[in-house]
Amino acid sequence: MTDCGCDKARRDLEEYLRHEVCKTEQGDIAEHLENCAGCRDEALVARTLTEVLARACKESAPEELRDQVLAKLRAVQAAH
Amino acid sequence: MFATLDRLDLEAPLHEEPLIRVPDGVQAAAVDWRVMSDPIDQTDQVQDPRTQFEEQALPFMDQLYAAAMRMTRNPADAADLVQETFVKAFASWKTFTQGTNLKAWLYRILTNTYINTYRKKQREPYQGTIDDLEDWQLGGAESTTASSTRSAEAEAIDHMPASVVKDALQSIPEDFRLAVYLADVEGFAYQEIADIMKTPIGTVMSRLHRGRRMLRELLADYAKERGIATAATRSTK
Repeated sequence: MTDCGCDKARRDLEEYLRHEVCKTEQGDIAEHLENCAGCRDEALVARTLTEVLARACKESAPEELRDQVLAKLRAVQAAH
Repeated sequence: MFATLDRLDLEAPLHEEPLIRVPDGVQAAAVDWRVMSDPIDQTDQVQDPRTQFEEQALPFMDQLYAAAMRMTRNPADAADLVQETFVKAFASWKTFTQGTNLKAWLYRILTNTYINTYRKKQREPYQGTIDDLEDWQLGGAESTTASSTRSAEAEAIDHMPASVVKDALQSIPEDFRLAVYLADVEGFAYQEIADIMKTPIGTVMSRLHRGRRMLRELLADYAKERGIATAATRSTK
């Protein structure tokens, strides 16, 4: 990972995966990933981590919370 | 460095002429005036603020509750935090500009409320200087292993039980946890996270990077304990 653009790709991988790099760099990194299995795997780990986090953190608010909030908002409005 | 150039077009001057011009000789006969005078638009504008708030903001309740759970770490405090967030948001509903990012606006209030009220109650070790720690002090997952084991790592992470992932997230320092949560779970852009957390964008990027690295390491440790083969993601310290 010291030649052929690996350093740059690894450094900016997260930004790349979040589409936070400019178009030119996006293209450069995409091209590097095409040709570099090591960086591709690194990208896979990074993407998997994001997916797994999103999946694990899903929650549904308790039913009664909605009612409590609605009641509270009504009370706040009535007070004004 | 950031992809903002695409937006410039939007700032081009608007047409000065009316966009629709009826050519001479064409009568307005084709226009259905009953449709034009439909009062739907007017009723929208005089909508009761509370109804409007409820319609627009309450659909974010599940998401805000999930974030509150990761912040407070228990259902009772999470419910209180969400309730307080909605009350505060409603109180300043007038200041919200319609058409701007409501989700980010609500998260800003949630995060503020959490930091100002709940964090003080919870005993967490002082983390004021965590951003100043050097990388080597935090350990790292800058892996030097072969790529074949890297795909094994991805697979192990993919099969990690949700409770383990949440525990891992819970155990990293709060500022890192928030940055990771806002980016990975909520999909906020760096600039939005910077606005929500009131930190420079560079700090967001560094917290995100370090937080994710710590997570990888924790998950790899867990997998190793369970005898699941993954990349040895520990760097030499």
